Amino acid sequence: MDTYLVSVLNGLSMGSLLFAIALGLSLVFGMMDVLNLAHGAVYLAGAYVAVALAGDGTGLMAFVLAVLAAAVVGALLGGALAGLTRTTRRHLDQALLTLGVALVVAELLSLAFGDDVRSIAAPAPVDDGVKIFGATYPVYRLLVIGFGIVLAVAVYLLIERSALGSVIRATVSDRAMVSALGINTGRVLVGVFAAGAALAAAGGVLAGPILGAQPGLDEKVLLLALVVVVIGGLGSVRGALLGAVLIGQVQAVGTTLLPEFASFLIFAAMAVVLLLRPAGLLPARSAVHA
Amino acid sequence: MKAVDAPAGPDTARMTANGPDEPAGIRPHRARIPVALAVLAVLAAAPLVLGPFPITTMARILAFAVLVLSVDLLTGVTGLPTLGQAAYFGVGAYTAVLVGLHITSDALVQVIAGLAMGLAAAGLTGWVAVRARGIVFLMLTLAIGESVHQLADTWSAVGGSNGLSGMPPITLFGGSPLLAPGLVYWWVLVVAVAVFAGVALVARSPYGRTLRGVRDNESRMRALGYRPALARYSVFCLAGAVAGAGGALWAAQARFVSPGDMGFDVAALALLSVVIGGAGSLWGPCLGAALVLLVRDNLSGYIGGHGPLVLGLMFVIVVFVLPRGVAGLTGLQRARGKGAR
Amino acid sequence: MGVLSAIARTLRPAPAVAALTAGALALSACGGSSLDQSGGGESGGPVKIGLLIPLSGVYAPLGQDMRDGFTLYLDQHGGKLGGREAEVVSADEGEGPQTGVPAAQKLVSQDRTTAVVGVVNSATALGLRDFFTESKQPLLVANAGADAITAGRKSDYVWRTSFANGKVGAALGPAVAKEAEGGVYLIAADYAAGREMVAGFRKAFEAAGGKVAGEKYTPFGKTQDYQPYLSAIRSSGAKAVYAFYAGAEAVSFVKQYKQFGLSDEIDLYGTGFLTEGDVLKAQGQAAVGTKTSLHYSAELDTPRNKEFVAAYQKAFNEPPTVYSVQAYDAAAALDKALAKTKGAGGQKLAEALGEVGPIDSPRGSWTFDAAHDAQQKYYLREVRSSGGTMVNAVVSELS
Repeated sequence: MDTYLVSVLNGLSMGSLLFAIALGLSLVFGMMDVLNLAHGAVYLAGAYVAVALAGDGTGLMAFVLAVLAAAVVGALLGGALAGLTRTTRRHLDQALLTLGVALVVAELLSLAFGDDVRSIAAPAPVDDGVKIFGATYPVYRLLVIGFGIVLAVAVYLLIERSALGSVIRATVSDRAMVSALGINTGRVLVGVFAAGAALAAAGGVLAGPILGAQPGLDEKVLLLALVVVVIGGLGSVRGALLGAVLIGQVQAVGTTLLPEFASFLIFAAMAVVLLLRPAGLLPARSAVHA
Repeated sequence: MKAVDAPAGPDTARMTANGPDEPAGIRPHRARIPVALAVLAVLAAAPLVLGPFPITTMARILAFAVLVLSVDLLTGVTGLPTLGQAAYFGVGAYTAVLVGLHITSDALVQVIAGLAMGLAAAGLTGWVAVRARGIVFLMLTLAIGESVHQLADTWSAVGGSNGLSGMPPITLFGGSPLLAPGLVYWWVLVVAVAVFAGVALVARSPYGRTLRGVRDNESRMRALGYRPALARYSVFCLAGAVAGAGGALWAAQARFVSPGDMGFDVAALALLSVVIGGAGSLWGPCLGAALVLLVRDNLSGYIGGHGPLVLGLMFVIVVFVLPRGVAGLTGLQRARGKGAR
Repeated sequence: MGVLSAIARTLRPAPAVAALTAGALALSACGGSSLDQSGGGESGGPVKIGLLIPLSGVYAPLGQDMRDGFTLYLDQHGGKLGGREAEVVSADEGEGPQTGVPAAQKLVSQDRTTAVVGVVNSATALGLRDFFTESKQPLLVANAGADAITAGRKSDYVWRTSFANGKVGAALGPAVAKEAEGGVYLIAADYAAGREMVAGFRKAFEAAGGKVAGEKYTPFGKTQDYQPYLSAIRSSGAKAVYAFYAGAEAVSFVKQYKQFGLSDEIDLYGTGFLTEGDVLKAQGQAAVGTKTSLHYSAELDTPRNKEFVAAYQKAFNEPPTVYSVQAYDAAAALDKALAKTKGAGGQKLAEALGEVGPIDSPRGSWTFDAAHDAQQKYYLREVRSSGGTMVNAVVSELS
């Protein structure tokens, strides 16, 4: 029993990270119909920022700095991607454009940091373990769960309760009308793209102590984020949250229950959800609900 | 209420293909035949001029081009962008190697077996995928592709991560084993050309027109009495068969197959080739296949292994400069004011 | 109408192709070389050696070490192998056979090498076996560990200077059986190497009286989070763990082993790759106390090794790894064999490799056994902190 409870906890920490990463992906698709396949590369860029600034377990300050720096890097990348994708119209072209950018960014990171596996230590005050359910559990992962909760609440407040949120929701719902009202929708779109990418890069830093940084990690994270977004419903913030929590649990608890099928669990879950609900669990194509 | 994945109008409907479209296709036929003959002549004469390594490379390109052809059939002609064809390619390759190891080294039998297994695999998994369109379809094909890849990687009966090696050289009609790379290349060329001709025939037939109709405006097709779901499923199976044949050709020249021959990387490269070459034109993606494979396998070594960097830059450039891919270059004189962009 | 001309279009080239084929077959007697089987090496002049190593992707660090080891041997011998000037041509093995096989074909068919050294990936090595055998060119595998390379798929032309998965695993069996105070849990990545290592370990371990408390394989390349497995290990009541992971998975596993508190309660044993090279640097403190078996450690206290480590450190600014030594020894074997054949390749070189006798290696003296594997000693190593850096200290020799 204890084993399962620890797994649930672990699933929640993975889910928090996935939510942070997938949120930007989902919003960008919901608003612009752009499938940003460079999202994984943005995540990896954030992870390498952590390697550069906080690789050896220096204090809390360096780690926080790394998160902020990564957010900036992510925002810049997101803005650039937004600009690039707006010049092409066909969706397949946009998706492949972002895939091309992903390859280029990943290769540049490999040139800059080498191909070795890099490890990022959790900041010194919180790299301990704590006794939960009879087992030692890393404190850092508990903090990540906390972060996920804070993020979910913040996003809810932003999207549902603020003026900016209503502009975002309106732009997704009926862009022409919003534009007719005099609001520069182009800026809204670029802003959302940049914010989503910043969040993904910050996620790269936060996930650093758990996943590290290495070539190829971007593909793995992209795949997970895509699954989360598709399961939750493209363009839906609530969907992204539900999808992230679900996938986190499927990975953690599922691996405990069915270790032989561990590699197929994610795709089986996705296939099941899509068969029953092709639009995702909480679809919100024409509106961004928090 | 917009469904999440249904194309909603003529503009968003052009989600994928935009190659030399049907009406213009019939007229330039006669101009293209001498070009096709010349290309074939050059390809056929290659082993007389080139050394063994370039010939082996060309054989690999041809086998990969068959896979790319199957992707173009789905993506370019039917408007279903896919990341799962590599799975059926792999099924075909594994089948051919297993046949070569345990049953017969006759190359024709291997190709037919690969084709049949590709068809069967596509038939089994296709019904899941074609219930969706657009991004969801893409994700489902990705899931199928990755699952099959995982299966190959962990199932010891097919060698697991070590793959299957030791396949004897192919024989033809009871002759002696074809060890010379040039002879294997000729076999691969013959089959690849045959498959290409078959797919071209399909694309220009009334069935092909149905597919393009489904791609461009599905609701109208339904209103006219067609059954888009059936069309999509049937082309999915057909594409699976084509991919399976490609896999068998790959096995014939490599005599070895491993899980890395399918999976996301190969699928992404195939999709890339289609876009670079020009989705829907069939011959463009074959050219794209050559380019992509040459960059990945041959150029990459010269630039410290950073082939993916070049590939990525190629993607970006192609999207900006050649929106219709290489095949679009031939259509530039004909000002087709469809405003597809 | 369109269909008819489509058919006409496809049929038209056929006679042309048929004529060309007939003509070509007739001409093949005077043939272009792609219509012949290639074979044989060349003698006289400099010897071309192909270095087939990963230059990109996840195995690139191993490739770098192998190149450094090979280069060091050449530098120490005036750039000569077997008395002849050696020219090294590198090719990128990449991450698997898709890139490795064409790279090898380029080396053999295009660059006309006399022998090829390298290969990290087992699938690539297995896939290349027929090619090298039919091309009559020796391949010295300097890493790939699959048992089949020298067992089921043994070839006259394939020689291995590194290790076989099963044997490295088996080396640790008796030692763990003696030291562990209860059941041992076996865990490894779910791919051929993982399974072969565990199988080898298990056989020797149980033969020495050990008890297995559980056996699990984790999805290869897909597992970032080992918590479910670590919990299973804890609840199984095992008193020790035998693990095989390499690369990024080794880093994650060992770090999480510490983070979830197992390293304080359950001893961790493994195959050397769990803590070798860059992996150890990334693991840091978390790896302290891990005991592994491997045929080499940079800490080996013999004069031959000390001299090697000093030279390597001087040339490349970092300590050598097992990968460096494997490639270094491949150069040594080639040196001896080429001296015998006076620079000739092909079948003569393959036979000469069988007669090189003992190789005086930094890992200790070793010879090729009947299966073309390295018959060698294995060492029990333990990760210790030495002046701030982690090293694999040698505890004892494993028989």
